[in-house]
Amino acid sequence: MQLSGRKVAVVGMGGAFPDCTDISDFSEKLFAGKSLIREWDKAVAHGKNIRSVVSGFITETEMNLEAIYSTLAEDYPETYIDKLERIPDANLSTADIGSIWSMLGSLDAIKMAGWTDGETQSENTGVIIGSGGAGHVILRSAWHNFFELGKKTRMAGSHTVDRAMVYRDAANVSCLIKNKGVCESIGSACATGLGNIGYAYRLIKFGLQDRVIAGGVEGTSLETFIGFDAMQVLSRGFSPQESSRPFDASRNGFVCSFGCGIVALEEYEMAKARGANILGVIDSYFNNSDGDGDMFYPSFAGQKRLWKGLLGDDGLKPDVVKVHGTSTPVGDAIELLSVVDVMGESGYHISAPKSQFGHMLGAAGAVEFITALLMLKEQKVLPCLNSAKLNPELEGFQKTANWAGPIKPIEAYRNLLPQQSFTKEINRVTCLNYGFGGTNSAMTVSKDA
Amino acid sequence: MERQEIIDGLVEILKTVRTIDQEKLKNVTEETDFIADLNTPSTEMINIAAKAEQKFGVEFEDDDIDDLGSKVKDIVDLIIRTKERE
Repeated sequence: MQLSGRKVAVVGMGGAFPDCTDISDFSEKLFAGKSLIREWDKAVAHGKNIRSVVSGFITETEMNLEAIYSTLAEDYPETYIDKLERIPDANLSTADIGSIWSMLGSLDAIKMAGWTDGETQSENTGVIIGSGGAGHVILRSAWHNFFELGKKTRMAGSHTVDRAMVYRDAANVSCLIKNKGVCESIGSACATGLGNIGYAYRLIKFGLQDRVIAGGVEGTSLETFIGFDAMQVLSRGFSPQESSRPFDASRNGFVCSFGCGIVALEEYEMAKARGANILGVIDSYFNNSDGDGDMFYPSFAGQKRLWKGLLGDDGLKPDVVKVHGTSTPVGDAIELLSVVDVMGESGYHISAPKSQFGHMLGAAGAVEFITALLMLKEQKVLPCLNSAKLNPELEGFQKTANWAGPIKPIEAYRNLLPQQSFTKEINRVTCLNYGFGGTNSAMTVSKDA
Repeated sequence: MERQEIIDGLVEILKTVRTIDQEKLKNVTEETDFIADLNTPSTEMINIAAKAEQKFGVEFEDDDIDDLGSKVKDIVDLIIRTKERE
């Protein structure tokens, strides 16, 4: 069921991107076909205890931040210094690294949006930002000092709650920009980034807010990385730049990365009336669950229902499908076949930005939504980097009796999967993201007509 | 340990608390109020107490921290009292 409501424009964006100085640098590197994935010294330092050593990570120095370590608790970043003085010390004292990126991204997005202080601080302005993980960097040290070293609780200081709580990113941004509307976080694993933007879109569409700062973040954290490493789902055996290879026949896992994507959303007529630069107009958002009781395995039927809900009655199809495309063996195959099942075998292209910067977990959907906005702006399709060889054989699941999807091998869809960026007319991009627990999210964004 | 020596030590701690205006640390006396005069966020008070424990080699009782006033002389008194108790 699709409900009518107000139109929603995207008027600003910002964030934190691996191996990039800012969003312009990010855009240039992406369209130049570069990989932002590097060998991670912090992972390498653990030798044989860790499988994967590549990541799209961001260091404190690269963000012009410096950690101040506590003299009381071992290995505990007590607070951070912002060397460019973008964020007041009082706000930094309540923030973990992801919350700081969120604040920086929000300031950039608001500046690009051109909102006045009055608009930003309005009762009709909300903040909806989420993260996939908790404040792991903060919690690990705090817990270690109490449980293992036997220190008093106060030795880790009084900010372990605000720096580690589930909605810390939204709370820190709200305290910085002083909005008076909704402040919440949506959590849906690797669909978190798009899920937060989707919820923010609905708040505006249904008249509950006029403006929302929305997005997803995943702060650099080896604590987060090792959980996935233990699952044996991370890419290994390739050079860093070739590690993320969605759809390629030799893919063997995703690259665990970190980042932050923040967008400024505004009710369309208001944005238009004040002459805002409209980066995109959100046509629709839909999310659902697989309903098959499986925490991890992707669902062809769930994704087909996702598309049906997204396209609704008007059925407007996109020029580019920005896929989740993680570089895992089963995930990519099911996703490609579900896209083909709905969209057909031609007339559009598939873009897999994770091929260039890896999987940013809770930030993925938001940063990849920004890549969709960049594709609309540049009128260029971002590639499926490293998709050099596609499987000429049918996937195992395609040979089972209950398979109801396309019965051609992945190689048959070479024309949909560009290996480098190219120019074409792009009026509409669909973004897809999925998460553990069988959650699926989809959003379509168009150029302002 | 002299009271002024303790005050000097406390000022050294306060210099590491980035949310305190460093300019205000030039004239700290026993009567200086952490919250009213230095605008110290109340959440930082426990951090200052914990760093004072480390710097002066004492361990405060939880009740003493609960009852701690917000003036410099209050924490100087507590440090001396705790040292005597130990």
